[in-house]
Amino acid sequence: MAETIIKVDNVSYRYPRTKKWVLKELNLEIKEGEFIAVMGENGAGKTTFCQCINGVIPHSQQGKLKGVITVAGLNTLQTPISKLSQIVGMVLEDPETQLFTTKVKEEVAFGPENLSMPVPEILERIRWALKVVRLEQYAERHPTALSGGQKQRLAIAAAIAMKPKILVLDEPTSQLDPIGTEEVFSVIRELKDEYGMTVVIATHKSEEIAKFADRVLVLKDGQIQAFDIPQLIFRNTKLMKDNWIRPPQVSELATLLEEKGQLLKGFPILPEEAIQLLTKWYEEGEA
Amino acid sequence: MSVIDYYPGDSLVHRLDPRVKLITLIVVTVTIFLLSNFFVIAAFFLSCLMCWHIAGLPLNKVKGFLKFLLSLFVFLTVVQSLFLPGEHYLFKGFFSLEGAIFGLLLSFRLLTLICFMPLVIMTTPINKLALGLVKMGMSYKIAYMATTALNIIPTFQDETKVIMDAQKMRGLTVFEKGKLIEKFKAYPTLVVPLVIGAMRRAQLMGVAMDSRAFGAGKTKTFIEDISLQNVDIVALVLILILCGIALWVNFAW
Repeated sequence: MAETIIKVDNVSYRYPRTKKWVLKELNLEIKEGEFIAVMGENGAGKTTFCQCINGVIPHSQQGKLKGVITVAGLNTLQTPISKLSQIVGMVLEDPETQLFTTKVKEEVAFGPENLSMPVPEILERIRWALKVVRLEQYAERHPTALSGGQKQRLAIAAAIAMKPKILVLDEPTSQLDPIGTEEVFSVIRELKDEYGMTVVIATHKSEEIAKFADRVLVLKDGQIQAFDIPQLIFRNTKLMKDNWIRPPQVSELATLLEEKGQLLKGFPILPEEAIQLLTKWYEEGEA
Repeated sequence: MSVIDYYPGDSLVHRLDPRVKLITLIVVTVTIFLLSNFFVIAAFFLSCLMCWHIAGLPLNKVKGFLKFLLSLFVFLTVVQSLFLPGEHYLFKGFFSLEGAIFGLLLSFRLLTLICFMPLVIMTTPINKLALGLVKMGMSYKIAYMATTALNIIPTFQDETKVIMDAQKMRGLTVFEKGKLIEKFKAYPTLVVPLVIGAMRRAQLMGVAMDSRAFGAGKTKTFIEDISLQNVDIVALVLILILCGIALWVNFAW
């Protein structure tokens, strides 16, 4: 079994000048190379959770943090963000605000430059990062000239140029069209499969989660509702309803059939699985 | 398009080292403030226009800006002639000729000065400008702050337009047809969303920059380097000499 890379130990957090705890006594462990999806309605604490992992909380965002978060053996409270940024890469929701330079190349170079890396090494990293996100031909463009999906892929490139072990993405596709979403997820998938990166992604897109996620964390009011494999999460009708999560369409179909007393031999979350199960169900009905 | 956007090109002015351009800007600013002779200022103004021509900057891009300046200059001239005592008056004790001349001279000086600024900003990519500042000894954090501020102004202009359009779509006509006092009253509906948006944006940008190790060390590397070429040194020396001559002409005659 792989090593634990993120350990959240009894963590609570409250924003400055507020009384409400946004995260309440969270306890969880994430293993190296895992793909974790974080779900939950708006205001459940997804963004806060993401920012805790890379040390933005508590280093740039004030407030009260209780408990201990350990990332790759480092306590985030005692490690400066500049060090953490080499372990945890961060991609934010809005494609616009997180890009602030005037050239795609410069955007990717920003992180390594801050770490005072030698220039040849930075150029090598730019080449690599832009290749991974398939934006090599846009190196000289202005970031504002890119499409939404391309901007988010550029944000990913800028994050992985620091060669992090973990990539945290906070609703990276919520403002994108289906094609942009597809592009972004295929890049994330590649990072996990080829480079063994641990991925933590907050998202509402059930279909993509079903396809890629190893485990799903469901948050509500800053508490863990469930943390399990997608099959079990999407099967839990009550959990879905309580948290306003729409399961993948094939899972919805299976649930509807179940309500009508038609039991499939298994619970599909992917279209391919559904086709198989439904064919079997149909053939058995015929016989 | 505005006077602070980078205007791509490959002219002599574009190719000059950002440090040379920044030093020139400082030297020219000081010189123009010291000048009092109309003809010397006019010479500066003409050479400035010549530089615009060399840089290939289109004058029509700054039309709106010049219009705004014009109203400022009229105001300046009127105020000066009202308050500056002189010997010749247009009316009894009002609007002195000397004041008007002083106001005009002041306006001309300002115009010349302001026309020099886009020459630096419009011909230098923002990252080069930051690099120039850093190489001149400024801390890169401050250089970044300054250049990011420049970078973000066009975004604000866009956002202002979006808010105004949204208001127009809901029937707000104050900014087009309203009286001055009504406009003043309507301004909060424009400024409040703009400021809140700006603060939110700044906060997110801070998170994004922090997540990429901004401020990790005292120094940072730059993938693009700048170095002084012969042409840079020649240009700088030439400009210093010209400014010296201008001052000498101004004060000796």
